Amino acid sequence: MPLASADFPYLSAILLTCGGGLLAILCLPAARTRAIKWVSAVCSGITLLLSAYLFAAYDQARGGLQFVERLDWVPSLGIQYFNGADGFSLPMLLLSGIVFFTGVLTMWELETRVKEFFALVFLLVTGVFGLFMSLDLFFLFVWYDVSLFPMYLLIAIWGSTRKEYGAMKLTLYLLAGSALILPAILFLVVQAGLNTFDLTALMRPGTFSPGEQRFAFLLFYLGFGILAGVWPFHTWSPVGHVAAPTAVSMIHAGVLMKIGAFGVLRLGIFLCPEGWRYWAQLMGLLATVGIVYGALAGLRQTDLKFVIGYSSVSHMGIVGLGLATVSVDGVNGAVFQMFAHGVMTALFFSGVGWIYDKTHTKMIDELGGLSHTMPRASAYVILAALTSIGVPCLASFWGELLVFLAAFRAYPVRGALAVGALVVSALFMLRMVQRTFYGPPRERFAALPDVPFALGLPRLILAAVILVFGFFPALMFDMIATATLPLLQGVPR
Amino acid sequence: MDPILLAALTATLTPLAAFGAIVLATRRRPGLSAGLAIGAVALALAGALFLLARLWGLEMSVTYTTRWMASGSLEIVCGFLLDPLSVLMLTVVTAVCLLVQVYSLGYMAGDPGFARYYAFMSLFAWAMASLTVAPTLLQLYVFWELVGVSSYLLIGFWYAKFSASQAGKKAFVMTRLGDVAFFLGLLLVLTHLGHVEITRLNAGAAAGLSGHRLTVAALLIFGGIVGKSAQFPLLTWLPDAMEGPTPVSALLHSATMVAAGVYLLARLLPFFSLAPTALTVILAVGTLSMLLASTMALVSRDIKQVWAFSTISQLGFMLMGLAAGGYVAGVFHLTTHAGFKALLFLCSGVLIHHHGTNDIVDLSRRGARRQTLAVACLAVAAAALAGLPPLSGFFSKELLLAALAAHPNPVWLAAGLLGAFLTAYYAFRLIFLLLAPPAGGMEDAPAPHHDAPPGVRGAMAAPLVVLAGVTLLLGWAEKPLARFLAAGGGLTPTAAGHHAWLPFTAVGLAVAGVALAWWEFGRRQAPRVGFAERWPALGELFAQRWYLDHLYRLALGALVDHGAAHLCAQGDRRVIDPTVDGLAAGTVAGGRRLAVWHAGRFQARLLALFLVVAALAVTVFF
Repeated sequence: MPLASADFPYLSAILLTCGGGLLAILCLPAARTRAIKWVSAVCSGITLLLSAYLFAAYDQARGGLQFVERLDWVPSLGIQYFNGADGFSLPMLLLSGIVFFTGVLTMWELETRVKEFFALVFLLVTGVFGLFMSLDLFFLFVWYDVSLFPMYLLIAIWGSTRKEYGAMKLTLYLLAGSALILPAILFLVVQAGLNTFDLTALMRPGTFSPGEQRFAFLLFYLGFGILAGVWPFHTWSPVGHVAAPTAVSMIHAGVLMKIGAFGVLRLGIFLCPEGWRYWAQLMGLLATVGIVYGALAGLRQTDLKFVIGYSSVSHMGIVGLGLATVSVDGVNGAVFQMFAHGVMTALFFSGVGWIYDKTHTKMIDELGGLSHTMPRASAYVILAALTSIGVPCLASFWGELLVFLAAFRAYPVRGALAVGALVVSALFMLRMVQRTFYGPPRERFAALPDVPFALGLPRLILAAVILVFGFFPALMFDMIATATLPLLQGVPR
Repeated sequence: MDPILLAALTATLTPLAAFGAIVLATRRRPGLSAGLAIGAVALALAGALFLLARLWGLEMSVTYTTRWMASGSLEIVCGFLLDPLSVLMLTVVTAVCLLVQVYSLGYMAGDPGFARYYAFMSLFAWAMASLTVAPTLLQLYVFWELVGVSSYLLIGFWYAKFSASQAGKKAFVMTRLGDVAFFLGLLLVLTHLGHVEITRLNAGAAAGLSGHRLTVAALLIFGGIVGKSAQFPLLTWLPDAMEGPTPVSALLHSATMVAAGVYLLARLLPFFSLAPTALTVILAVGTLSMLLASTMALVSRDIKQVWAFSTISQLGFMLMGLAAGGYVAGVFHLTTHAGFKALLFLCSGVLIHHHGTNDIVDLSRRGARRQTLAVACLAVAAAALAGLPPLSGFFSKELLLAALAAHPNPVWLAAGLLGAFLTAYYAFRLIFLLLAPPAGGMEDAPAPHHDAPPGVRGAMAAPLVVLAGVTLLLGWAEKPLARFLAAGGGLTPTAAGHHAWLPFTAVGLAVAGVALAWWEFGRRQAPRVGFAERWPALGELFAQRWYLDHLYRLALGALVDHGAAHLCAQGDRRVIDPTVDGLAAGTVAGGRRLAVWHAGRFQARLLALFLVVAALAVTVFF
């Protein structure tokens, strides 16, 4: 893989901004909530600008890894501080920047334990950014765990609806995942015998025998698959979505589930292409079941956030199906879908968060007629719902198109079933929209405020991103293709 | 810039600009929003007319494409395919859009969602205009879905009404069923041919698909047509869609959007012709829809529902004609139908707006016949629908029947003639019901919108006059339009045999239908009971729409809601979660068990120690 060193450590700058923000928040007195919020907004804004700059500055003609930073950390063990960005990680970095910034803005009205909340969010996001940019297996694993632990506290303290249960369930599931990932990493590093955790060194063809690849890929797939909500390991995700506070739901569904899919891609597929091909049938099967099952289960939910949670299961199934096709179109579509789904669910949770804050309920039966009093908040959720249904010119359509095309080529029956689930997802999304936002105005919601412009800003940004990539998908696909084509050339037929 | 390209861009993109401007800037200023939307669609119409004029002389097709995105071997292009068919359709679409938007100035005046209405209308105009000029099936599918979304938004425009939001959802989900089939057909073609360009598919590239696959692909694509054009078995969403404002029904649910299905068949007719089995299926589905919907219209008392059923039936008729090879016939009927059906709805809208009811008998009782202009235009349009000369509908129906007569199987022609009879009957049943003074005399209650300002009336009257003029005159444009269409279509017009008896039979049947309607509803001592209602079971069957909706609701409830969805939701709650929770509880319980051994039971440990040592001693020493 061609490497291009950075003239300026942009990637570390992102991490340092997060770290600096964390320190600044810790140093500020807890009573000065306004200052804490401004520090959070500014720091997250800087990470968004940096990630957007990297996305734009990446030299697509050259491809490969760029903005590379390398530093020996523990030479005797072959551990390096090794960061770089390619066509897979840049969309994810951009997504993280967007969701982080809009998530912070969404929590502008938070009043309880502001300091602790934002400190934990910063810690979480540092891990997320680190994971997407790291190319050293040791650091990857460390960042992975850094991004998991704050989640427990964030849900258990600021959450709602069975929050202790949800937080514990999520943590246990994800730890079970990392209990599969760590052995796989150690197994590969030891088997290679190169005394290095360097991903680019380990991914050279011929480093691992097919048998080793099959074994390690399965561990990676299951370990990261739990985080990606692969059926039947998905039940932590709706419960966790529901229990989490708004910004955490946004980061959780928007970015954390993408870490799962990204982990399968970065570790599983990069290191064990042979294993990828071997287990593709299983991946395709579980993904299809997840798509159909998630949509059907979503039909029966009565809690707004559960509806979105199950739609996430279904959508992450589409990502999994794309990866399972072992084809250029499938991987392109899957990565695009990861990005689109992240932005879309962030918008969803951001909109629903406003409604929950004001009405104090997220049970669909108790809501109704909200379009009268909250036209803007309703419009944002309806836009997210239409994106989720796969309406063209909204981002998620293009990802789904490519995934379904690739799936239809590789597995016609499963592909057709997955396409059929589109009807069910339209049905449950529109039902939710109808029961929540339409109907006669309700007396008790009459006095509730709509989103004012300033507080609506995060939702506006997310909606704009959905539209931009919905109308101009090439912006994203050209980027992803720089990584997909070399990857697929390396896969044995 | 190339003037043709510029005109095509104007014709499609200006409404999108209006949509964006209304949503972002002017949504609080209703007047300005309406002005923007109408100005944009007027520009679009100008672009379309320019294209029509240019292509009329040239008699050729022009294609512009540019790369939109690429992935692997797949390149997705977007652009314009301008040929007689698409430009004619584009003109029809933008013209009806303009008329309906002007009309809405009056109809929607004072509505709190006025600006939102014009935003959605502009969204629809953009999507529909872009659909007609799409050069690839994929682009067509993109806009196909977008017109579906705007239809959803517009049907549920008065979202406070439960029935309206319900109807919007039903329309979207039912057409989605068809769209999924269309999408699968698209994927099938794309997988095996690597492209979905309409001209290449029509030029015989489809032969690259083996015969079996070609039929499957054609049938799948036809699934989309069934959904969008509300054909059997997906026809029940259209009558419900009448919950939307009447101008919306006129534009989307009769003249343009639902006709997109027929347009797609016309667009791909050479492709479909390679799959004769598919054509037979289309003939059968079209016939069934035409007859079923006609029977439903026989007994309906809701003025908009009657026209909705008649839309389904006329679309079925067009599909029959196209499938029988009558390319020009189908497209011509599509054009004339857009005119007179929009007129029917707009006239009905005037009555509904004035009297505040949809019920034909109530309208009559409240003195609908005093609205001379509206009722006169309604009668003209109904006569066109019935196929009476010299109105536009007569000419296009003759063409369609001639195409059916050319088909070797006479069943389709017989069905078409029966349909013509029923159509004339139900159209004039409605007219006579409206005109005849009801038994109880007319109420003199003041109508709710009695004091409508003259501007409102003018805005609503002008489109009626224009459309009535079109309905009166368009029939005479048959020959030049047929030449124009045949020149660009690349289709050899089927040598339709000349059947001198056919026009007379058709007109005779139409007149018989009108006469029967007069006998039952029009004359002074009329029983005012239709022939279908004399058998209560039959009347009920028709009034309940053949119980199709009951069946679907039952199936949705039993198979999806309480079947598969219940199973999946319970799977999480009863199987997966308890397993995991059990695992966790088991771990905790196991830990508790094991913890006993660390709980400082000194004597027990001493005993264990003694036993172990004793056992060791025994094994070592003996």
